[in-house]
Amino acid sequence: MNVEQITLPRKYHAAVEHWRRHWMPDYESLLANWDKYFPKDEAFCLCAKLELGTPDLIQIGDQRGEKKRLQPDQLTEEQAKHLLAIIRAQASTEFGSIQQHAGTLHRAADEEDRFWVLRVMAEELRHGYQMFHLLLSQDWDHVSGGVKGEEMVEEILSMQTGSHVLDAFNVEYDSFIDNICFAALVDRVGKYQLTMQKVCAYKPMADSMPPMLREEAFHLAAGVIPLRRWAQRAANGDPLVTMQVIQKSFNKWFPRALEMFGDERGGDTNIKFGFKDMKNREAQDRYVEEVQRMTRDVNSRYLRARFAHATPDKVETVLAELERSRGKHDGVSWDDLIHVPDPRFFRRKGESAWQLVGTQGEAFAGADDYLRHLAQHLPEAYLTTRDMRAYAETLRKVHSGEMSVADAIKKMPKLKRVGGTCPCSRSVRWVMEEPETGAAR
Amino acid sequence: MPELQSQTRVRPLDELDIGSVVRIDERITGRYRPEFWEQRVGYYLRRDPEASQVAEVDGKVVGFMLGDVRAGEFGLEQPSGWIERLGIDPDFRGRDLGKLLFDALLQHFERAGVTDVRTLVDERESGVAGFFNAMGFAPSSLRALELKVAARGKTA
Repeated sequence: MNVEQITLPRKYHAAVEHWRRHWMPDYESLLANWDKYFPKDEAFCLCAKLELGTPDLIQIGDQRGEKKRLQPDQLTEEQAKHLLAIIRAQASTEFGSIQQHAGTLHRAADEEDRFWVLRVMAEELRHGYQMFHLLLSQDWDHVSGGVKGEEMVEEILSMQTGSHVLDAFNVEYDSFIDNICFAALVDRVGKYQLTMQKVCAYKPMADSMPPMLREEAFHLAAGVIPLRRWAQRAANGDPLVTMQVIQKSFNKWFPRALEMFGDERGGDTNIKFGFKDMKNREAQDRYVEEVQRMTRDVNSRYLRARFAHATPDKVETVLAELERSRGKHDGVSWDDLIHVPDPRFFRRKGESAWQLVGTQGEAFAGADDYLRHLAQHLPEAYLTTRDMRAYAETLRKVHSGEMSVADAIKKMPKLKRVGGTCPCSRSVRWVMEEPETGAAR
Repeated sequence: MPELQSQTRVRPLDELDIGSVVRIDERITGRYRPEFWEQRVGYYLRRDPEASQVAEVDGKVVGFMLGDVRAGEFGLEQPSGWIERLGIDPDFRGRDLGKLLFDALLQHFERAGVTDVRTLVDERESGVAGFFNAMGFAPSSLRALELKVAARGKTA
């Protein structure tokens, strides 16, 4: 592949390295063991990578056929503001996922699983670095409200779980199951976003996507392969791994993953500006279909282990029958399998936000009934978190008429930085942000 | 074969193809080896995810070809395209799927600047050898050699 590698100016490179020492203490161990776990692979490089030889002309939107823009001031002010928000959000997700992974990485029961996640973290660090390159290599002053590149970098490096741009990155992991399910479900959204942005009318952004996508392919494998292995262990009666535990993690992450696409009714601006090639609903629908395929694959692995002497065709027939009947077959019930939750389940954003819809589409009469349903279907350790407490309070207010859905969509706890000079300062405290005014999407 | 072509699609391998690769391998070899293929697919996806290809007929994966670009193998410092694994569901043979997979892999190798594509073939598998021959492969000056360690111990 024809790729140009770029290192940030020393000051910024050092800031990322400094952040990395806080949040990835095992980084040196990853590099030391690289050849053991990833033999023959290219050594890890903390650098920005730009694909060469990509299309020069805008591929979609109002300016289709014109030359792709090389500098922010070649975009309209509205376009540049919109793109800057995308880049900052993307950067936030990259650093945010590392912070989430770091919380439970050491609980991995298997060294290979741990090193796979460590590699994912290192590559997310590189993706964040890539976004910093986009922020710092050009002048965005005219659309950043006077905020300098340096300040944008500091702001992103000071974010923590709770203060990131997207909700999926503001939820703590409860166990290593979350590391894996996050890679399988949330990184999959990342793949969609990066794929959509390959057409971006801003060429440096478009050129950033192919190298990131190549790395993302392994991130998805680092989720799906352990899931397949766990399904086999669960089927073989391992008391420490159950399909129900995996299901609860799916229920936790799938709703947040769907919300990463943005409101189902939106996405027109991205197409009009030539930044992405799909609207939100179309991309989300394709994602759901892909998650269904992944879930079926894991279920198939489970059934094959349960019925070790059955032919592949027989296992396929049993799976299809269980999906149709939701009944039982030879000691295995539909409930033993993993299911993709209803896309309206446990939503805080989008057109199903704050509705009382169960994992399988059931309706609930009131907020407390619904919270009891959530308590049965979400990971136990997650139920007592600040995130869930805030969710429950808001849900009750919405369903008692105290708060509108539009206000609830905007109201979630945020960590707010209150001081400190270290770019990864932990001198933050929980505060409830006042709801902002404006459109819900 | 316009009708047949319209049902066939070749695309890069992804992590959701593992089950299909396992199934095809089992149909060919009679062995169920999910762990082996999880490792191998993981290997190719982390190294060169756009290289390895699968063939779909009516949305079902029925063939795969796994390979990547490597340098330094056997003293060959120049990057070469390597094809390591090929499998076509027996029910779907005779439809040129192997050629479609090979063409896609070759295109990727060309984009990566590779000038030589290499593989190893067991001469006892005449079908595989015939396929690569038909794709234009010719015997190389590199020869595969092997040593039976146990036999050497007896003669030493």
